[in-house]
Amino acid sequence: MKTRDALAATLGCGLALALLPWLLSDFVLALVLSCLMYAALAVSWSMFCGPTNYLSLATSAFFGIGAYVTAWGLESMPYLAAVFAGGLTAALFAALVGAAVLHLRGAYFAVITFGLGELVLHAITHFEKTYAHTVGRVISDPPGGEAIYLTVLVVTLAAVATAILVRASRLGLALAGIGADEERAQTLGVDTRRAKIAAFTLSAFFAGALGAAMAVRWTYIEPLSVFSPFIGFQTVLIAMVGGAHTLIGPIVSSIFFSLLTEFLRLRFPYVFLLVLGALLIALVLYLPGGLASLFTRWRRIRV
Amino acid sequence: MSEALLSARAVSVRFGGLVALDGVDLDVRAGELLGMIGPNGAGKTTFFHALSGVLVPTAGRLVVAGEDLTRRPPHVFAAHGVARTFQTPRVFRDMSAAENVRFALEFAGRMRRHAHDAFDDAAAILGFLGLAWVASLPAGALTPARQRLLEIGVALGARPRILLLDEVAAGLTQPELEACAQLIRRVRDELGVAVIWIEHAVRVLMNHVERVAVLHQGRKIADGDPRAVAKDPAVIEAYLGEEGVAQRMAA
Repeated sequence: MKTRDALAATLGCGLALALLPWLLSDFVLALVLSCLMYAALAVSWSMFCGPTNYLSLATSAFFGIGAYVTAWGLESMPYLAAVFAGGLTAALFAALVGAAVLHLRGAYFAVITFGLGELVLHAITHFEKTYAHTVGRVISDPPGGEAIYLTVLVVTLAAVATAILVRASRLGLALAGIGADEERAQTLGVDTRRAKIAAFTLSAFFAGALGAAMAVRWTYIEPLSVFSPFIGFQTVLIAMVGGAHTLIGPIVSSIFFSLLTEFLRLRFPYVFLLVLGALLIALVLYLPGGLASLFTRWRRIRV
Repeated sequence: MSEALLSARAVSVRFGGLVALDGVDLDVRAGELLGMIGPNGAGKTTFFHALSGVLVPTAGRLVVAGEDLTRRPPHVFAAHGVARTFQTPRVFRDMSAAENVRFALEFAGRMRRHAHDAFDDAAAILGFLGLAWVASLPAGALTPARQRLLEIGVALGARPRILLLDEVAAGLTQPELEACAQLIRRVRDELGVAVIWIEHAVRVLMNHVERVAVLHQGRKIADGDPRAVAKDPAVIEAYLGEEGVAQRMAA
């Protein structure tokens, strides 16, 4: 019942958001698009990393893979197909590397997932230089702004809906058990390896699809920009500041972050990263449960 | 020996140069209540780790209900009906007591049903253990003694055929200890599960089990009727020591 309510709310928000291209100026719409992208990235990151307490920095790798699927494939397939293919390619990649690295925990896992992004970046750079004799790709015929917006919206809604369903499923319960005590969960019959690979793959699908969908926003695609570690770090920060163990936290936090970044960039163009950094430190120090814990605290006081 | 529900053959565990278990053989039949004793560091908990797949033995074989599970991961042992508790309770602290039991029912417990309906849902299991009134409290907020009881509840949620209890009665007073032993007997009697029970309170344990195995320095030095084992010179020498002999004479 609660799951159904959450899904209905997601659909309702989605329908309302679908009207925005005809209501908002291009500038504001671009801002909403960036909110949506980070919301989807943070929600899909939290799908695996939230309940399990694993720290994955592989988001940039998945995002970049998706972007390159669009760069390579857009001439031979429709935009939507490229977005789907981007998601699938990233998911396949995640399943393969997940099988190899998901026995690692803590800092080791974080470092190796960060390394994955670098590995794919350099592999693609090398491949492009050696075989395609190019350093970047031009997207000659990008789809219109509305098509991009609606596609990203659909991917975001799908990510949120998937996150809701995972939370209510046995997979979600297994992930919570893994986060609480992985070995205990195993002795209670959880195939932890399979659960982790499944969730890691699922979260990679959305990051890949977003990369593929957003790639057309840049007319020129090169490895250094689409595999930018900044996207991965930003995703982790947004999810953690929002509260990765909740669903609403990362969403609220992505809106908060996108607006804050934009505001600071316009008002304090020279020191905005400084201010952002200070804010982050304050949030992590004084609100370790994320913004979502504010809500819980407020509710507890009221009761 | 084919009727044994669980069969450990020459199980050895080495950590580098240290031999924690040295060729232990053990057969447990369905519905048997077996005590396991031994001085500190004898290898009892290591043996449980091996029996539940938490630790892969360096050598030896483990057969559960006719299937060779050697080197398989812990969830396979759980799926075949091996459930255990941990010496330091490892309940999911943020989940409520009832959610902890439900977790086990949802995974390991999914494959089987209990012989007795009274053990087939979280409320009934908690009620049996006298934990009904803390069902909705987070497990981490319970006292250590209650967390140990909850560990039994979680293990029962896995609907086991063999229950491995690792010092579930540690830190209890004498009357509580007796009550805990009664509880373990009832679990065995009503569900017909086999139980291997490790406990330091040797005398209480000896009074309630039908068979006892003694580990000493990684080896099984005795296995049989508790009264016979208590008189075994090797056990007295190794486990009870000089002081123990004196105690036993006095008792």
